[in-house]
Amino acid sequence: MTIGLQQPETVPAAAPRPRRGGAFARVVAVRLAGSVGVLWGAVTATFFLVHAMPGKTVDVLLARSQATPAVRDRIIAEYGLDGSLLDQYLTYLGRLLTGDLGDSFVLRRPVWDAIGGQLPATLALVAATLVLTVVASVVLAVIGAQRRPWVRSLFSSVEALVVAVPPFWLGLLLLSVFSFSLHWFPAIGTSSLDGLVLPAIALAAHPIAVVTRVLRDGLLRVLDEPFVLSARARGVGETDLRARHVLRHAVLPVTALLGWITGSLIGGAVIIEIVFSRPGIGRLVLSAVQNKDMPLVIGVVLLAAAVFVVVNIAVDALAWLADPRTRGQA
Amino acid sequence: MRFRNTRNAATTAVSTAAVAVLSITLSGCGPDSGAQADPAGLPVSGGTLRLSIENEPECLDPHQSPTEAARALTRPLVDSLVRQDDGGRIRPWLATSWTISTDQLVYDFKLREGVKFTDGAPLDAAAVVANLEHVVAPETKSLLASSLLSAFESAKAVDPSTVEIRLKRPDSTLLISLATPNLGIESPATLKQDPAALCAKIVGSGPFSSPGGFVAQQGIDYVRNPDYKWSPEGAGHTGPAWLEAIKVQVAPDKTARFGALTSGQVDAITSVSPTNAKEFGALPGFTLHAKPFPGINFSYWPNTASGPLADVRVRKALRAGIDWDRIVKNVYFGVFEVAKGVISPTTPAFNTALQGEYATDKDKANKLLDQAGWTARDGEGYRTKDGKRLKLRHMWSDASITDLATQIQAGAKELGIETVEENLDGGTYVERLLSGDYDLLDTSFSASGPDVLRVLFAAENIPTAERGIANNISRYTGAQSQDLLKRALSTVEQSEQFKLYGEVQKQITEDAAVFPVYSDRVTFGARSGVKQVQFDADGSPNFYEIWLTA
Repeated sequence: MTIGLQQPETVPAAAPRPRRGGAFARVVAVRLAGSVGVLWGAVTATFFLVHAMPGKTVDVLLARSQATPAVRDRIIAEYGLDGSLLDQYLTYLGRLLTGDLGDSFVLRRPVWDAIGGQLPATLALVAATLVLTVVASVVLAVIGAQRRPWVRSLFSSVEALVVAVPPFWLGLLLLSVFSFSLHWFPAIGTSSLDGLVLPAIALAAHPIAVVTRVLRDGLLRVLDEPFVLSARARGVGETDLRARHVLRHAVLPVTALLGWITGSLIGGAVIIEIVFSRPGIGRLVLSAVQNKDMPLVIGVVLLAAAVFVVVNIAVDALAWLADPRTRGQA
Repeated sequence: MRFRNTRNAATTAVSTAAVAVLSITLSGCGPDSGAQADPAGLPVSGGTLRLSIENEPECLDPHQSPTEAARALTRPLVDSLVRQDDGGRIRPWLATSWTISTDQLVYDFKLREGVKFTDGAPLDAAAVVANLEHVVAPETKSLLASSLLSAFESAKAVDPSTVEIRLKRPDSTLLISLATPNLGIESPATLKQDPAALCAKIVGSGPFSSPGGFVAQQGIDYVRNPDYKWSPEGAGHTGPAWLEAIKVQVAPDKTARFGALTSGQVDAITSVSPTNAKEFGALPGFTLHAKPFPGINFSYWPNTASGPLADVRVRKALRAGIDWDRIVKNVYFGVFEVAKGVISPTTPAFNTALQGEYATDKDKANKLLDQAGWTARDGEGYRTKDGKRLKLRHMWSDASITDLATQIQAGAKELGIETVEENLDGGTYVERLLSGDYDLLDTSFSASGPDVLRVLFAAENIPTAERGIANNISRYTGAQSQDLLKRALSTVEQSEQFKLYGEVQKQITEDAAVFPVYSDRVTFGARSGVKQVQFDADGSPNFYEIWLTA
């Protein structure tokens, strides 16, 4: 997925409108076909990586228990842990093709159930984080896209600082100020909206800093374009110019970046989930990996990969629709 | 021993969990110790206790799960046939009386009349039989409870109010095991479900019920069982619990838990960190309740089967040559009790006569090392024998022991012993544990009775690749101890049994098969309006007795 930032003057004429729908469908179809390969690759890599971790699965599973030999044998037999690695892989893949993700070894319930139980909380957090990221980045980038050196260096410094702050520390800081002292928000995860505010801020801080920077650089580049000069000459106001003309050009690389951020937030929000005692996929996958809970690990990886794929198809499709320059590449 | 933060241990107490300070109310001195602490008020019925806990069970069902969290969260829901009181004595509960055959193979329990599960089903002999059979059924995949019933052969209902349990061999631990929530009695109808359903919701005859069950990563809500009138003998009151409801939320981060308590968002928290524990003294309106865990102290465990520590003289030298007292004071601010015995002082049958054996004596330690042939020194001052340095590889239970391990390393260095500190991933740890490829380990082990000595020191519990994980991690096979453990297992008479366990402790001390460090504590921090906080024999908070005032 490469998005060329070429000179606006070289934009070719848009494809004739009647053929647009068919070409669009082809773009999506090609992407979907590629996605199946991505998902298969993700499953295979995860399967063998988890197996490459030291320790026999049954020993790690029973590490904190006092299981009798009979229970140990039962677990080996029931989870098929005695077959060869290739056997286990093919069996798993066969079941997966029928849509069966299996049962979690540790949680003792279907993987779909375990993930489904945590998914709403994760999706809410990801959505809130993305909305916050987009709104804050656009506002900050528009304000910060100025030629004055002190404004630029101020913004760069703050961005660098925010990226350097560890999220758990920021989370604890937010908690002690806004929850423990001011009592504005609950400290311990609730499903209500006010329980979402602090975690979303803590989680969005890094993406905001990165996206603002990319967007600001894009804005500054576009502000040098001749069409900006002509717009100014036509008497378009500075704010209007940035918000309605320039931003549209600068936003393309950002959509790609947001696609990547979304995918990484699915399983990557674990620190924030722990600090704010929020349920979520991150905590689920952390314990699953530590316990060698293979079906659950693969289930979460599949989910993250699927979200990643879907979001990227959406981003590409969006780019295709928004920017005729990208159409030759489908 | 590992994975402390993810699957809370069946057995291992969290090493960082517990330090007590000035304001500690030591609980467990009898049924009305809490009331004594507040002579002004009589218990008040009503109110909701909001509690935030550190660890959650991966599965709620105590028949399946080995975790402390499952035990603590199911105690309000399920009653047991018998109860173990603070002195380790077994008292009647759902069983009003019992008899044991002279060959110790047949136990007959007479059940209390009129007990109902919260789904309306009556408690009868068939229900008890169904529970025991559920625990041992292979499809239950019990990770702890079935091992408590390893001597179990069969159970049958003699009549509606009499249960007969037959054993394959004498097992003097049966009554203590039956007292744990792991062998708690659930409504028989629910046991016919898929085991997965029981991981979320169980139904018992306890003082509370939980219609919604346990929600992963969130918590569990309880409501009072208004019909409850079968509290165990020796309980602080009869009839329903004082609390109307309990809301338990899982909060894995200790700072968030502590902040939620001090800002009034919850009434109580578990697993107070040592740092936060220190702060309780300066916090008006809050009380830290604590009780030393019964079971095995937090200890260093030597590999007695191979390596330098296979030589008892080196083990004795390490025990005598390190100033454990000073180290525990340094690391835990002087409020943590150094351990002077194989089991913790709150464990029934603790042998008080052995404390002198755990005194520090560096001269003796150096002499022992000389006798063992570690006489030469290398360029860095470490002792050597046949050109090989005296080096001990210590596999960490987890990173939280960094400070302690560093100080012990310094103490060993003074003796000329090098410790190599290894903080490993779980899989490597397990692999090397099973193959015996280590010199030192560290862990504690909570348990309600002295039979925990068997779990950690019986030869049949040495972890091996064939057997899998087991808990004799010092790989100890001392013949006298093995014989004493066998005799204790077939001695039901409790004073006689405790005497044998006292001798086991003496023999293990003689063989220096464990280096006790400190006694771990269970902690419960609460606002001072949370009254009558007590702990059960296994260290779980007793919600039946707690009551609330403003």
